[in-house]
Amino acid sequence: MTQRQHPSLVPNALQEREVSRRSMLQLASLAGVGVFFAPALAACAGPKGAAATNAGTAGAGGGKLSIVLNRNLVSLDNKLNQYDAAVTVQRAVRQALTEIGDDLKPKLVLAESFEQTKPTQWTVKLRSDIHYSDKSPVTVEDVETALKLYFQVPAGYVASQFPEQPTFAKVDDHTFTLTTKVPVVSLNSLMSNILITPAKANKPEELSTGLGTGPFVIGSADTGTGTYRLTRNENYWGEKAKLDEVNVSYQEEEGARVIAITSGQADVIDTITPESAEALKKNADVDVLETPGTRLIHLFYNFRKPKGSPLADPKVREALTYAIDHDSLIKALMNGQVSSAQGVVPTTLAGFVKTGEYTYDPAKAKQMLADAGVKNLTLKFIWEDSEFAGASRVLEAIAQMLSAVGVKATLKMIPKGGDINSWRRGEAGDWDVLANGYGNQTGLALTNLVGQYGGTAAKEKTRDTYQGYVFPEITALLDQAGAEADEAKRDDFLKQAQDKIWATWPALWAWTPNNVLAKRKRVTALKLRATNSYDLASVSVSG
Amino acid sequence: MLTYILKRIAQTIFTAFLATASVFVLLRLAPGDPAASYAPPNPTAAQLAAIRRQFGLDQPIPVQFWTFLTRLLHGDVGTSFFFKRPALQVVMERLPYTITLAVAAILVTALVAIPLGVWMARNANTAPELGANVGTIAGQSMPDFWIGFVLLIVFAVNLGWFAPAGFDSMASIVLPTVTIAILQIALISRLVRREMVANLNAPYLTVARSRGVSERRLIWSHAFGNSAIPVVTALGTRFAAMLNGVVIVEVVFKWPGVGELVVNALQQRDFPLIQATVLVTVVLALLVQLAVDLLYPLMDPRVRLGEASA
Repeated sequence: MTQRQHPSLVPNALQEREVSRRSMLQLASLAGVGVFFAPALAACAGPKGAAATNAGTAGAGGGKLSIVLNRNLVSLDNKLNQYDAAVTVQRAVRQALTEIGDDLKPKLVLAESFEQTKPTQWTVKLRSDIHYSDKSPVTVEDVETALKLYFQVPAGYVASQFPEQPTFAKVDDHTFTLTTKVPVVSLNSLMSNILITPAKANKPEELSTGLGTGPFVIGSADTGTGTYRLTRNENYWGEKAKLDEVNVSYQEEEGARVIAITSGQADVIDTITPESAEALKKNADVDVLETPGTRLIHLFYNFRKPKGSPLADPKVREALTYAIDHDSLIKALMNGQVSSAQGVVPTTLAGFVKTGEYTYDPAKAKQMLADAGVKNLTLKFIWEDSEFAGASRVLEAIAQMLSAVGVKATLKMIPKGGDINSWRRGEAGDWDVLANGYGNQTGLALTNLVGQYGGTAAKEKTRDTYQGYVFPEITALLDQAGAEADEAKRDDFLKQAQDKIWATWPALWAWTPNNVLAKRKRVTALKLRATNSYDLASVSVSG
Repeated sequence: MLTYILKRIAQTIFTAFLATASVFVLLRLAPGDPAASYAPPNPTAAQLAAIRRQFGLDQPIPVQFWTFLTRLLHGDVGTSFFFKRPALQVVMERLPYTITLAVAAILVTALVAIPLGVWMARNANTAPELGANVGTIAGQSMPDFWIGFVLLIVFAVNLGWFAPAGFDSMASIVLPTVTIAILQIALISRLVRREMVANLNAPYLTVARSRGVSERRLIWSHAFGNSAIPVVTALGTRFAAMLNGVVIVEVVFKWPGVGELVVNALQQRDFPLIQATVLVTVVLALLVQLAVDLLYPLMDPRVRLGEASA
């Protein structure tokens, strides 16, 4: 391109045109700057702490609460999926016939009574004083529709917890029965996850808006950004919520969640690593709440090994457990925020039986391995990324502990959303130990026991057992426990099953992480449950 | 001019289609099972199969592609696996946030980088200019997520001047904008400096100076005028890149834009959402490039679009 000539050498017409184009560009730039910067500059006119926006009224009532979750809530419904922190928010808007109480036992909510009137039949009576936030009544048809739709959702998480779909039969306007082919003693717990919505508005998908019977109503919902605003339901049929408003958002980056609570933008955050929890404990404005959890994380053996494989021998599986120094791991790498398992399910679950403890005794490990004739054993560990906090370093430490007893460990982390299911099912390759977490949404040990240890040959044909765990006598005991209405007999079946499971040494080690939640000190009356959720209606803010 | 614009629009449509189709195929060839992201914990084979059926992933890839093409002709890029809503709708809801951030960042960049570059050119090889040089190199070298966290800690946490995340007021745009602009200012100012140094030493400027043209006019009307095209091109290219979502900054500041959306979509293997994002951002980027090209004749009347330059 040739360089520009001096203006005096350029014809006048061209000069004028150049000037007007340039001026046009200059004016446009200045206008654009003004449009974009004026509001920002006005907003920056003085210090504006995020805490100011969350200030609530002093005293027992009123105020706003800001919750920042670790993942997008997507909807205020749970037909497809459910995770702990979501329960808190979902149940604030929609309720079920029952809920899992602080003692992990089912507690009546919308139901006045929920009784097993026959071995295969439960009779439920709705409360007469319940209604939706628009004061319309809750009907038995709403319950029937809700139950039906949960089972229509493909691969829905909640429906998969039921052994079968109960048959609904209306008795009168407030009463109905739920009948199953085989006795389901935990039906009242399972129904705690069936949220009730007006039948006409309900769909076989997750609802992001709509009516509920809960202490809050949806003020606004943006599923795209995962932000929700809940306001107090002034028509609530029970004791009204103390808070005026709850703002829910999410931030996947844990560091950003911590910044949000320390800066005052968030009042409550969940899913905190041990390191962040320790740092937050030193913050004068923040409380860290911990409760024993209901999730079991275990290093589960692959039970699909051929007969001659070392891991097919329970003595070898037991021997390896003695190589793990659990106390050191818990102190050094887990900040003391987990508890070593004392059985095959978390201690918090109803029906838990203590069957034993994991013990560190490397000499015994070596001896038992030698007695079993095991030499040069190599174990392949697999796990999904972010399965639990600090997974990589915990497993690297375990690999070193195993090498001290002459066992070599190789570690393979599967990226999130990748092929972990193929690996679990034995379709992607051979492995020996799977680091996996198993959650619980019913408060019952039976749910975990059936899910993990109730494998059958039929299920194993489609590789749908839990890592190939099939012991018919254990499955039979669990079936008996699930069908036994007498609590004492049921507990006996459960004890027998858990003792037998422990004797098979299903895991190299298992532990239950504590639920950890951080809240600002202005938040009061927040009681964190073992299910890692809390009752929003009773929460209040001060100052 | 009109022919040129129509030709560019046709190229945009073709390029957008090619990009979306490529992403479609690459996503389906990539390892991993999207159904796993939407299945309950420890899913059965039947549950995974049901999810794949629901998402249309049980079909052979050519069948999926044909279905995708026929829907695309009607402006339907598919339903987001995660949000269960039209993917294009989800992206369009987030786009204004990204555009706002990109426009703010590019304006700040232009306002600071251009005068800075001009100043550096005028004071080339002096001590102050060396200091500015070091500053711009530092600005180019610092990763934007680090800058973002430093600004967050200082201004949001310690001083409490701004909210650390999300978008709750216009003030929320300040920290993300500054984070993006620091690198861009470093790049653009150095480009401006280079172009201006070449033009400030040109003979025509000496002649103009000798004829009594003011220094201000010499610099801004003449020297910068001749430097403008590469600078505007660079600004346009940076702006187009920002429209893809300044991913790291959006994640750090929880800015609800397209970048943050696509990060989640990739983690969730939400194919329709990824495809919709690619389609929208490619179209936007190409339109921005077209707009930049249309500015050239305004900046230099000798430029004729669609013709080889003399």
